[in-house]
Amino acid sequence: MSHRTGASKAFLALVRRDLLLAFRRRSEMMQPLLFLLVVVSLFPLGVGPSPDLLGSIAPGVIWIAALLATVLSLDTLFRSDFEDGTLEQFAISGHPVTVIALAKIMVHWLVAGLPIVLLSPLLALWMNLPMDALDVLVITLLLGTPVLSLVGSIGGALTVSLKRGGQLLSLLVFPLYVPLLIIAANAVSAAVAGLPYSGQLGLMGAGLIAALTLAPFATAAALKLSLE
Amino acid sequence: MSHTPFIVGSYLIALVLLGWCALAPVLQSNKLKRFILSRQLFTEEKDASDS
Amino acid sequence: MNRFMLFIHKTGSPPWFYNFSGKLLPWTWGVFLVLLVAGLYLGLVKAPPDYLQGESARIMYIHVPSAYMSMMIYALMAVMGVIGLVWHVRMAEIMMISSAPIGAIFTAIALATGSLWGRPTWGTYWVWDARLTSELVLLFLYLGVIGLYAAYDEPRKAARAAALLALVGVVNLPIIHYSVTWWNTLHQPPSLTSEGSAIHPSMLVPLLIMVVAWKFFYISNLLVRTRLRLIEQDQRKRWVHHILSGADR
Repeated sequence: MSHRTGASKAFLALVRRDLLLAFRRRSEMMQPLLFLLVVVSLFPLGVGPSPDLLGSIAPGVIWIAALLATVLSLDTLFRSDFEDGTLEQFAISGHPVTVIALAKIMVHWLVAGLPIVLLSPLLALWMNLPMDALDVLVITLLLGTPVLSLVGSIGGALTVSLKRGGQLLSLLVFPLYVPLLIIAANAVSAAVAGLPYSGQLGLMGAGLIAALTLAPFATAAALKLSLE
Repeated sequence: MSHTPFIVGSYLIALVLLGWCALAPVLQSNKLKRFILSRQLFTEEKDASDS
Repeated sequence: MNRFMLFIHKTGSPPWFYNFSGKLLPWTWGVFLVLLVAGLYLGLVKAPPDYLQGESARIMYIHVPSAYMSMMIYALMAVMGVIGLVWHVRMAEIMMISSAPIGAIFTAIALATGSLWGRPTWGTYWVWDARLTSELVLLFLYLGVIGLYAAYDEPRKAARAAALLALVGVVNLPIIHYSVTWWNTLHQPPSLTSEGSAIHPSMLVPLLIMVVAWKFFYISNLLVRTRLRLIEQDQRKRWVHHILSGADR
């Protein structure tokens, strides 16, 4: 690697570029987050404003809304770069496609996942989640939203070359999200009920590590396939 | 409550679904074969009339 | 090259495969029918009604084999997908995607019969117990693979994308199953989960026969669907014309 840039330099350059692009299209960035807020606020309208009812379904509702908002933002992960040929340039640049995928996934999380974590106190307030469970909610979201981005990127890469990829994308990733939803929502519910939740969090941590090590390879394979 | 309608229903559903699963490719392949043969005949006639 | 490896290599040739499967099909269908009749007779006529559940337990002879096949086919699909992804074996790709609808139908049968079994036994058409919930998620996984394949224009690219998805799904499948089972134990009393493993032989034998019968259904249907796809994809090739204008099989 004497005259070429190393993979880590490429990674940072790509992260910087994507962050810059995301901030330039701030309104596009906001839409999934707005969707998150709207979806959560629909629940009281649908099931009634009873604080007890809302509190009892709060963990699940917040997590489902996070899932939906993430899926909404996944389609744009690779699409614009794919359509103008930039993705192809990245792929033939000689840098490992896994590193490229990881860079884009990280930016996706920073731009779409982290804001969900930051908005969660507001969602907890709306859904009448007991405030002493808020820290557990935030931890589950911190551990879980990267997994949403990682696993979702596989679906995004598989559907990027398809015309109506976005619709299919949601169908593809939802079954893969089921275990995450179950464990995360349960961790928060357990915290609310005063039951132990460290096991669930441990599992989520393990899941994050597994996704971090495995998903980029699947995403890279899917990207190479879509670019053919 | 009689269990019979549920038992009959289950076996009927299995019969219908498996029957359709078995038949659909057969019907489609018959259609496809007819189409290929007809196209084959068409190109043969065309070649014969061209030359 | 020994005979087994030679056989494996031959299956990679579409015309050879077409001819060979054509000769195999009457036998696999035949075995299926024999096993079906035997299983149904032993299960419906000879076996006694269940001590606890009564007659409705007879649904088991359809439900359990279908659920078993739904999972086995997904695993097989993933294996064939790997063979297609790693070694670019076209026959593996075609057999993989031909398996998907069969697996989906078995999953649907398992769900429907599970629902109908639930009503007389536990009083409700649907219960979010571990097995039914896992089956539902499995159905979505199947539909995803089928949908992804259908969305691509080029067959070989489509097969590789579907194989990748099937592979990701199969890695997730045990995780999904265990998390759903665990979730279920939190929310449902244990009495609603499926009965214990000790089944009387008079019921176990027809059950096992039905499982094997379903396997032969899968093999037969898989061969039919694979042959169809081969003809579809190779319709402009000489071997297809040769076969169609020659023997009609």
